[in-house]
Amino acid sequence: MEQNTTQQKTIQPRTIQPRILKGTRDFLPADMARRDYVMNTIRRVFERFGYDTIETPVIEYAETLLGKYGEEGTKLLYQFKDNGGRDIALRYDQTVPTARFVAMYANQLPMPFKRYQISRVWRADKPAKGRYREFYQCDVDIIGTDAILSEVEIAAVINDVFTELGFTHYRIRCNSRRLINSILNSIGVPKDTQPKVLQLLDKLDKIGPDSLRIELNAIIDVVQVDALMKVMTMTGSTTEKLSALQEYDVSELKQFFALCNDYTIPESVLEFDVSLARGLDYYTGIIYEVMIPELTLGSVCGGGRYENLCSMFTTRQFSGVGVAFGFDRILMAMEELNLLNMVGLNAQVLVTNYDQTTLSDSITAVRALQSAGINTELYMQPVKFAKQFTYANQKQIPFVIVLGPDEIARQEVTIKNMETGKQKTIPRSQLVSYFNGMITS
Amino acid sequence: MYMTMTNTVPQSVELDIRDQTIAIQRRGKLYDGSMQFVRSLGIEVSHQGPGLIEQCPTSGACILYLRDDDIPEYVARGAASMGIVGENVLAEKQAAVTIVRKLGFGQCRLVLAVPKDSPLMSLADLNGERIATSYPRVVNAFLKARGINAAIITIQGSVEVAPELNLADAICDIIQTGTTLQAHNLIELETVLESEAVLITQ
Repeated sequence: MEQNTTQQKTIQPRTIQPRILKGTRDFLPADMARRDYVMNTIRRVFERFGYDTIETPVIEYAETLLGKYGEEGTKLLYQFKDNGGRDIALRYDQTVPTARFVAMYANQLPMPFKRYQISRVWRADKPAKGRYREFYQCDVDIIGTDAILSEVEIAAVINDVFTELGFTHYRIRCNSRRLINSILNSIGVPKDTQPKVLQLLDKLDKIGPDSLRIELNAIIDVVQVDALMKVMTMTGSTTEKLSALQEYDVSELKQFFALCNDYTIPESVLEFDVSLARGLDYYTGIIYEVMIPELTLGSVCGGGRYENLCSMFTTRQFSGVGVAFGFDRILMAMEELNLLNMVGLNAQVLVTNYDQTTLSDSITAVRALQSAGINTELYMQPVKFAKQFTYANQKQIPFVIVLGPDEIARQEVTIKNMETGKQKTIPRSQLVSYFNGMITS
Repeated sequence: MYMTMTNTVPQSVELDIRDQTIAIQRRGKLYDGSMQFVRSLGIEVSHQGPGLIEQCPTSGACILYLRDDDIPEYVARGAASMGIVGENVLAEKQAAVTIVRKLGFGQCRLVLAVPKDSPLMSLADLNGERIATSYPRVVNAFLKARGINAAIITIQGSVEVAPELNLADAICDIIQTGTTLQAHNLIELETVLESEAVLITQ
């Protein structure tokens, strides 16, 4: 024991090199302000449509998640034994836990169940630019109804989210898996080749019609390719496309677009794209994908109708429709389009701390502004004002209230605008109304 | 669209006045012009007595005599099918109404003004200053569009005394001739809005 203590005295105190795991991120206050702004805006739209949120545990029994994400997914699932020797896994997405959740609480949940969820998921993926091991997913779903109105509502939610975030150019591409299936069947594409064709169709935007044709030629015959390409490269308004496709199953899409029109989703935004396939095999009806044409970052939101969400947890059938918003991509897009420039940190006003004699007046000012809903902080130590101003600058606080003995004697306050450097003296009694007038403007 | 008021029915008026409920100012600057306009439509108004609703027997029209601030809201909610109001009021109220036409009377301007001896010389100087007005939304939008952040003090009337009382550094108010500004030692800095009476509908 004694020996130990002497030894500790002689060696340097041990510190651990501060670092974080590959594929994870720390967010500084300025980053978080932007992330929160985007998240809150999205959340506000969800709530305006009456969606509620739920939360599921970060850790689940491994069996709950295993085998739900295909072979690749199973490899990427974070799995380990907990301290009690149980096989557990980290949340890989929000869909499977939600399916488990709905199966468990179906009797307590209002049906249809409209839920949104914004939470973290983990994947043991190889980190790359824009690919993380820990990231947020942002989903909104209507579960337990196959009414076409739910597809329409999801389209309206998508539209309102992007409008509210400040995007002026965005395209909600829509299609129906029912339509694609009916086209593929009537052209005579064999059932087992169809999934491969769907995957190729998704590449049309990326590789162009000529390359797509070559790739299609390799798996279906030339007559079928011709027929398919004719449909896929069709142009015109939604109504024109729908009437040209009359021979196929377009009833669902007709209803969908008519109701979207009632929801005042502009046709310039909502684009009927026959070539949109969304490769995943669980979609069964309307599908969506959102692009920002000014930027080349791929889809920023996608999803669709799926049947039988909870089949792995219950025999009850739950049809659902929903989309996932690509939170990090949306953030990148907004940074690039300068839509986040106005997002600042939280404090709006800093009140100076001159000395012991003025402190009580400073606190009174702080409390008055806080009561009026103005984010206000008091500087902690009575040091030189220059130092207090530096702190305000570091925290991007737009206004500093200078309260020294002179101001107090004259029943005034001086307000320094940190951006312009301009100082303004007003009666103390007008302090709150001054900022109220500012904040509304 | 622009027309001058005359006592004869202007040719451009093709309003079906039957069953129309028209809201006009009960008293104030637009009252005379509004009455004249309503009469030009062939509506026989008398506005006698304290009543706020006047049913005009031959034309079938109904006139509502209201505070001008309330007229956009009455029209937006469908309580009146039409209204006569100043563009200044309309801009401030932001009600869901459309302008049928300008009526050529009740001209005035909404201006920013400062005391004669004020160091504030330009619009940009208003940054961070206190501006008293009865038109907070209009002033807000005007300044915001020009990148100016000022403290707007909302006062319902007699805005012009605010600088003397150290309540504000500038004002934004309606002027017709400018005599009120002069009487309070104020000078115009900038016109925010040119206004006249307009006919509105839902």
